[in-house]
Amino acid sequence: MVVEGETQVVQSSEPCVAGLFVTDGGAKVLGSKCVACGTPYFPKAAHCHNPACPGSRMEPCAFGGRGKVWSYSVANFPPPPPHKYDNPFKPYAIAVVDLDGGLRLVGQMVDPPEAVRVGAAVELVVDTLYHEQDRAFTSWKFKLV
Amino acid sequence: MQEVAVLGVGLHRFGKTGDGIVGNKSVTELCRHAVDMALKDAGVSWRQVEAVAAASSRFSGGKGWGLNGNDVVEDIGSTGIPVYNMSAGCAAGGNAFNVGYSMVAGGVYDIVLVVGGEVMPKGMIQTSGNEEVTDPEFLRQRCIGFPGPSFWATLARRRMHDYGTTEEQFAQITVKARKCSVGNPFARFQKEVTLEEVLASPYVSNPLRLFEICPVSNGAAAAIICSKQKAREFTTKPVWVASSAVATMTFEDSLPRGLAGPAPSGPSFHTEAKAAVSRAFERAGIDPKDVSFTELQDNTCYYELAFPEEWGLCQPGEAERLVAAGETTPTGRMPINPSGGFVSFGEATTAMGVFQIAELTWQLRGESGARQVPGAKVGLAQTLGLGGNATAAILKR
Repeated sequence: MVVEGETQVVQSSEPCVAGLFVTDGGAKVLGSKCVACGTPYFPKAAHCHNPACPGSRMEPCAFGGRGKVWSYSVANFPPPPPHKYDNPFKPYAIAVVDLDGGLRLVGQMVDPPEAVRVGAAVELVVDTLYHEQDRAFTSWKFKLV
Repeated sequence: MQEVAVLGVGLHRFGKTGDGIVGNKSVTELCRHAVDMALKDAGVSWRQVEAVAAASSRFSGGKGWGLNGNDVVEDIGSTGIPVYNMSAGCAAGGNAFNVGYSMVAGGVYDIVLVVGGEVMPKGMIQTSGNEEVTDPEFLRQRCIGFPGPSFWATLARRRMHDYGTTEEQFAQITVKARKCSVGNPFARFQKEVTLEEVLASPYVSNPLRLFEICPVSNGAAAAIICSKQKAREFTTKPVWVASSAVATMTFEDSLPRGLAGPAPSGPSFHTEAKAAVSRAFERAGIDPKDVSFTELQDNTCYYELAFPEEWGLCQPGEAERLVAAGETTPTGRMPINPSGGFVSFGEATTAMGVFQIAELTWQLRGESGARQVPGAKVGLAQTLGLGGNATAAILKR
């Protein structure tokens, strides 16, 4: 891509694990839901795990949009493999979010750890997790709204 | 069901690979030390042991799949006895005790060795060994990066929100724990720390600091348990197993253990721990108020606040006040972890459930020295392990 006479390297980006989330039409994680008892799942579950469910009937279901931070923590040191991160390591917040759609989902925050609060309103986004061989690898994350 | 006694216990002091305590000893060597000590304490010879219940892990061991009792039996002398290897993460020691207890109580064997030991890999525990997209633990670490300390820190942060708990109050628990450890010859750390030192230690996962999270350690623990009839042949003052229980988490559990789950309408807590402890109380016919002291799994000091409340040892939101008033020290009204706990020992995963049995036994015999709970009659022990495992045991004299 040529911008004002300069050559710019456009990095390609791809999900850190394929098939778990989408960005088109708003960030969403791809899970499932049991239509018999309403239990949401991410990642997709083959059958319902609710022992009180009258009979498992699973359908694909995407979860996204807004939610509230139930709690959060900060990774002040790099987690061990198989986690991957860019050097130098930058501490990040991990939020446990109750999405309006009924799913409690764990994910990194894109905002700096100091900005995160219990009860804060957030939305699901897709953002870069790490780079490898000039490629950006993405994951689902949360952003303060 | 017949009554079961703890006849003898043994520990290898906990340490770190390369230090003056454990050096480069293998897990088998550590276990041998603990087993020898337990056999001597019980007055039982190796040939009298009829079976082994071993806490098994994938971390270290001669056959490459972590500690297994077969290595211990080969090392001490292959008598051909049955070996049961129990894998339940950090709850494995408690699980092994439960299996040993159940077999003696059920009359299958009269004398059983329960053993756990570990040589831990350095640093934060790596929970996922394989890069497999069908493994939820792999997805959690690759897509998010959510190590054990951050799981604990999330619970601690929520408590700060719910009850106004301060970082100083978390730090105070470590100060108490390390004070207990001073009199304990088996603890890895045996020096007091000040509140200022705890608060000056770096965050591992904010709001939890280095001194508030148990490190990994090498160590081993063993217990010889036997039937009531056998106990009479060896001692006049046995310690009795009032109950032993195991539980796993239930569907309603809403702690962030995987990537996601249903958002709950009620509180979030360790359902497996509460279930195991409740079952132990029920089976023993013992009320929480009758407990003289508790050894609970304090991977982080947060649990010393949350667990006593969740199990009915005190009222919800009361724990901070009890800690501040000194009620959780060995001489307080609700002693918690008089041994010094995981924060003073470090965690040698499979040894922990058996280490707790050793501490309970010494306390109930009145042999705990400076950390003795005066007049201890009933002790509660509890472990928690990855995968939603929990165990509880109640011992009495």
